[in-house]
Amino acid sequence: MAEPFFQIKGLESGYGEIRVLWGVDLEVNRGEIVCLIGSNGAGKTTLLRTVSGLVKPAAGSVRIEGEELAGLECKDILSAGVAHVPEGRRLFRTMSVRDNLLMGAYLRRRDKSVDEDLERVMTMFPRLAERANQDAATLSGGEQQMCAIGRSIMSRPKLLMIDELSLGLAPRAVELLGESLVEINKAGVSILLVEQDVMTALDLAHRGYVLDRGRIVMAAPSEELREAPAVREAYIGAS
Amino acid sequence: MVPAAIEPTRYSMLYAQILLNGLVLGGLYACIAVGFSLVWGVLNVINILHGSFVVLGSYIAYFAYVHLGIHPFLSVILAGGALFALGYVVQAGLINRVVGAPVLTTLVLTFGLDLILNNGMIVAFTADYRTVQLAHPLGSTVVGGLVLPLDRLVAMLLACVLTVILYFVLVRSSIGRAIVAVRMDREAAALMGVNVKRIYAITFGLGALMAGAAGSLLSLIFPISPLNGSEFLGIAFIVCVLGGLGSISGAIVGGLALGAIQSFGALLIGPQHGLTIAFVLLIILLIFKPTGIMGRRGYE
Ligand SMILES: Nc1ncnc2c1ncn2[C@@H]1O[C@H](COP(=O)(O)OP(=O)(O)OP(=O)(O)O)[C@@H](O)[C@H]1O
Ligand SMILES: [Mg+2]
Repeated sequence: MAEPFFQIKGLESGYGEIRVLWGVDLEVNRGEIVCLIGSNGAGKTTLLRTVSGLVKPAAGSVRIEGEELAGLECKDILSAGVAHVPEGRRLFRTMSVRDNLLMGAYLRRRDKSVDEDLERVMTMFPRLAERANQDAATLSGGEQQMCAIGRSIMSRPKLLMIDELSLGLAPRAVELLGESLVEINKAGVSILLVEQDVMTALDLAHRGYVLDRGRIVMAAPSEELREAPAVREAYIGAS
Repeated sequence: MVPAAIEPTRYSMLYAQILLNGLVLGGLYACIAVGFSLVWGVLNVINILHGSFVVLGSYIAYFAYVHLGIHPFLSVILAGGALFALGYVVQAGLINRVVGAPVLTTLVLTFGLDLILNNGMIVAFTADYRTVQLAHPLGSTVVGGLVLPLDRLVAMLLACVLTVILYFVLVRSSIGRAIVAVRMDREAAALMGVNVKRIYAITFGLGALMAGAAGSLLSLIFPISPLNGSEFLGIAFIVCVLGGLGSISGAIVGGLALGAIQSFGALLIGPQHGLTIAFVLLIILLIFKPTGIMGRRGYE
């Protein structure tokens, strides 16, 4: 069988003596939207941070198109095509929206294609175009998330990882962002989405994984997960 | 009859002259402080070496003038380049090893390095004061009753130009954006592919470059000796506290304010105490407005 597009195998990770992830296996196929759900402290953020190189794994492998990423520096993982929108957006304060977006293209040579991509992001998120010269810290929560997503697609990733898309946002803003994600996905970017809001996650994703205390306890297509009693009970609030 | 009418104008001319002298000095102070402030803001390192970097810049200008006949205004490039290289190597080779550590650790490291550099300069150049005696000084000219010391004025203008260039490098270039990004959020910057350690080395190099350039300009104004290092460091520190840490506009405002305070202080209680007033103000400010006149901001 051909190797999957993106594959995490036996990943162990944590902070110093504290082990958070215990042998995590996860795959994303080309063109897929996959969501990762789990309660507070399950290790979702730690998983993304380990994949993007902010945290060094203790064991296991992370591959994209067969290329091993585990243990590499952040910049090499980004050039291999994996971008990470961190929890809480983490925009650069005092820098304009445009400069924040340009930071996403930091590793690229500044040429016409960068300006074209900037144009494309501004078209996808017209609110950002209106506020291009404004300090990014003055954006609303939804606009900040747009900027953070726009920033990371400026690196032209193959896989986009998003931590807590809906965090602190009104339902309408989440809906808009979800539409943009589908648009980005249709343009050929695979997506790994971490979400607290399980209904939103399962609506957007083709497949999902459930992470519990550092272990994957369930993996199934979204429709199946939505019906699974364990998921309904733990994360949706049995209704 | 007449003197009564003349007196007030005479005083206002005196004050104007003192203000002018203060601002000329202040522009140079801003140039000393801006690199110190940049390093503190981005790396969270209080660089005790900064004063000695200024002195080293002055020596480079001095020897370039004495042996090669290069005017100190031109040595700005020489001293700036040499100190950038020195700063880059010091950061990449030494300080990067402890850069995440608490401020006290890096403070002790730069303090130790300063002892080495400063004493090294005393051994190499002696502690005797040297002065650059220009063969063709620009002298001074009188405009509207104010005496303009031209060499100092040009030095101050060059210092301002350098500071403005640094500002544009930070806000317009890709490296500059990366420096600001690292300052605001080093993890998010790493996620953008920024090599944070390399940006640290470049930032420290730029701080040293500004110190060296300032030293080169100051060689025309102050006698040169390694003993001045601690005074320059003190000036950089006060300017940062006056103007607020980490912003270029803050360094300019703080520098000009310090120059003016020192000039008027010298008039009030004697030239030997000009800096004393500045230090007293520093303490008052630290108590009542620790974020500085401009507050803590980005690089605007
Ligand atoms: N920097 C850190 N140092 C030590 N432990 C940490 C650190 N960050 C997270 N942890 C621990 O790792 C565990 C997993 O945290 P993580 O942030 O990955 O969970 P999460 O699934 O993203 O939770 P949430 O839904 O609240 O965002 C938690 O027990 C947390 O306390
Ligand atoms: Mg999290």
